[in-house]
Formats: sequence, structure tokens, C-alpha cells
Amino acid sequence: MHPHLRRVVDPFLFFLALGLIWEWSVHYFQIRSYLLPPLSSVFSVMWTQRFHLLNHASVTLLEVIVGFAGAITAGVLLASAIFTFPVLRRTLFPFITAMQSIPKVALAPLMIMWFGYGLTSKFVMAFLFAFFPIVIATLGGLSSTPSNLVEHFKALRASGWETAWRLRIPSALPSFLDGCRIAIPLTMIGAIVGEFVGAQSGLGYVIMMSSSTSQTALMFAALITVAAMSITLFLLFQTISRLVWWRAI
Amino acid sequence: MTNAPPMAPTDRPAAIALRQVSKTYKTGKGGTVLAVDKVDLDVGNREFVSVLGPSGCGKSTLLRIIGGLHSYEGAVTVAGAPVAGPPDNLATVFQKSNLLPWLTVAANLGLGARFRKQAAREITERTARMVEILGLQGFENSYPHELSGGMQQRVCIGQALIQNPGILLLDEPFGALDALTRDHLNLELLRIWEEQRQSVFLVTHSITEAVFLSDRVVVMSPRPGRIIEDLRIDLPRPRSVRETRADPRFAEYTNHLSEVMGVI
Repeated sequence: MHPHLRRVVDPFLFFLALGLIWEWSVHYFQIRSYLLPPLSSVFSVMWTQRFHLLNHASVTLLEVIVGFAGAITAGVLLASAIFTFPVLRRTLFPFITAMQSIPKVALAPLMIMWFGYGLTSKFVMAFLFAFFPIVIATLGGLSSTPSNLVEHFKALRASGWETAWRLRIPSALPSFLDGCRIAIPLTMIGAIVGEFVGAQSGLGYVIMMSSSTSQTALMFAALITVAAMSITLFLLFQTISRLVWWRAI
Repeated sequence: MTNAPPMAPTDRPAAIALRQVSKTYKTGKGGTVLAVDKVDLDVGNREFVSVLGPSGCGKSTLLRIIGGLHSYEGAVTVAGAPVAGPPDNLATVFQKSNLLPWLTVAANLGLGARFRKQAAREITERTARMVEILGLQGFENSYPHELSGGMQQRVCIGQALIQNPGILLLDEPFGALDALTRDHLNLELLRIWEEQRQSVFLVTHSITEAVFLSDRVVVMSPRPGRIIEDLRIDLPRPRSVRETRADPRFAEYTNHLSEVMGVI
């Protein structure tokens, strides 16, 4: 078989095997379905509840997109400010690093108190999870501009803006996109943790509700949806960061 | 062989004039190092001057001072104007290729001219001409990593020339290349210079390269760098490998410079 095809076919066969083992062991060991439902009933729930799941998935996706976009905007602005003004590196940067050491999961109840049960608190949670890796990666990228090129731009009499636009930003782009790739699954975690703590919609809410009503098949259906979303977003950024081909040069 | 007589008198100020120029570096431990010590030097208009010296003698520091990239003590003027920051009308080529990996050869060639706010159409025209002069036809849309080291340095030289500078600072531009490529590019540089006649300040390690290319060769002492020899090279132009190197004076000059530098 063609090696390119193998890269698609082999994992598919592996997943198929795992699924068959799951299905078979549930029947063979007679595992009670509220502990582990057979995969077939998970899929059947996924189909019958597809609109329900899609509705909640779209809420979670919205939370992720808004939180992530906010984190990119604020993260890039803050990293640029810290990079440009050394006084911020001495004051604001240590503060943010200290804030980072608080487990953000522990902030969820506070965010619900401050921003309510609606979407805003989930935006904030998603934002909090994505923000720090993006700041660090962007700052790292901006600082890693080769010094010989900085000197060369000075010799070419490039203005501050020209140096930023034509040198610093393209140099920082690979590192920034790496940060985004790391931040995407974290943003999902932030949104879902927010939904756990208090929400009326979203996949995290579906997971909590199905747990309390012992609808384990629905819970698995929601988990698979979460995983699919996360992988899709990750692959999206993988593809975007491949466009920045000069990273390895 | 004595110190060189001054260039033919012109009413224009010297391209580069250094008076009592010194440079002191601070070391990490709070000490200071004197890198360049009270250097006096003139580069006349359209003159090709090379600076020879052992590693660490401050010759690259001197080049960066003239290029407005380093602070200094003393007086430095370029085309009569005191240097505070990179002067207009001057372009620098460094040893390490400074091409941007995300721009094509053509875009890299025009980069310096763009920063100098030269007209876009003019830049395009000059880029096309430079591609021809440097033999880069067919590589206009390639990226730097697709080129050999020698080709990359050609693009760097082209980037400097497209800015139409009256003065060129060359910091061992071919120092990282193999000997064969280096000889080849020296010939091209000579050919271009003999047509365009910029004032050139070339830093190099190679005695033969300096003699072959220059009107004058200046030798610097080990740190702190001082000028210990200033030799006029009276070889006819246009020069060629065969005739210039066969000239008995070529051997005299290289032998003399080797002695000054303590190589023989």
C-alpha cells in the first residue's frame, strides 16, 4: 500500500479494533451499561440526540472562539507592550507570572460569581486558560529575532514600524503559532470547566447532567464530541502553522 | 615603501574621515577594554581602501563606527557630515548573510532601497538590472535558503548596490566562503566597482585580496587597534588576475604587508 495511505488507514484500523474490543467486552463481561455502555449505544445516542449535541457543541465552540480570540488579542498586545517597554517587563510581567501559578480551575467559582451563569463567565474562563501560553510564546518569538538582522535593519535605516512589520513580526510568527497550538486544547478545558461549575448549556453542562441522571451513553457521546472539536481546532492550527514555512530555516 | 600621498585634490570633502577615533567596551565584570585607539584615517572619494589586521584588532568595530552602528570617541565624518546613526548615501555588507528567509531574492534585493523611500518603479528596474549584473537570472523568485552561500552573498552585495550608495562598507563580505567562490566574487566586485566607483572601505583578512582590489591598504595592530601601515597600491586599472598578479609590484606589496603583519 502507498505509505501516504497507510498514515490514514493504519490509525483507522487501530481505532476500529479498539471499538470492537470495547463492544465485545461490554457484552462478554456483562458490564452494567450505566458504568460503560456498549459503543453501539453511544453511537445510537449520538445519532438520536444529534441536534441536542450540536446545539450544545455550538455553545461551547462559541465560548472557545470568543475566549481564544480575546486571548490572542490581549496576549499579543501585552507581549508587544512588555517587549517594547522594559519597565513592564520588570513590573507587569512578574505579576502575570505569579498569577499564572494559581490553578485556573480554582478560579471558576469566582468567575461564575462575578460574571453570572451565562456565557460571559465561560468566555472569561476560556480566555484565562489561553492567555498565558500565548503571551509567553509571543514574547519568546519577539525576543528571538536574530541580532544580526536587527543590526542590519538599523544599517538599512529602517524605521521602528518597518522593523516591527518586516522583521520582528515575521520572526515571531512561528513561535506565536506554536503558542496558539498549545492554547487551543487549554481553551476547551477552560470553557468546559466553566460549564461544569454553573451553566444551562454547553457540552460541559451535558456531561454534568448526564452524570447526575446516569445517562452514561449520552455522556460518552458528549465526550466524543468534545474530543472531535478539540482535534479539529488543533489540526486547523497545525495547518496554519505549516504555512509559516520559514520556521526551520 | 612609505606612507601614501594624499588623493588627487578635490573640493568635495573626503568620503570618510576619522580623527582620533577611539572605542572602549565595557566588559561584563565592570572593566573596560580599549578596542580602537586614536585612529586617524581618510578614505577619498571613489577610493577603494582595505583594512587588514589580526582577529580582534577592532577593524570591524571601526567599520561599525563609520556605519553609525556604534558609539565612539573622537570625530567621524561621512561626506563631510558628522556620523550619528547610519549615514544616508552609505550601505554596509556584513560577513554573515542578512537576507530575510521569508522574502524572495528580488524582494530581498529591493529591501534597503524601500527603506530609503526610493520610488517603487525605480526599485523594480534597478532590481532587474542588478539580477543581470550579479548573474542571478532565474533565481529572482527563489528564497535565500535555496541558494548557495556564494549566491546569498551576491544578493547581499546587490541589496547594498541597489540603494545607490556613494560609499560602501564591506565587512569581510566573502569571509565565510570557500577560496574559489571568494576569488570569483572578488573579480565580480572589482568589475562592478571599476564601473561604478563608489568609495569603498573593505575589512578583510586576506593580504592578496586587499592588494588585488585596493587603491590603499591600511594595516591595524592587535588590540588596541592602531594604524601601523598605510600603503598605496600603484597597480594599473582595470586589473585582471593574470596581469595584476604577474606584476612584480604585486609580490612586493604582498611581501611587505606580510612583514608588517608579522606573517613572514
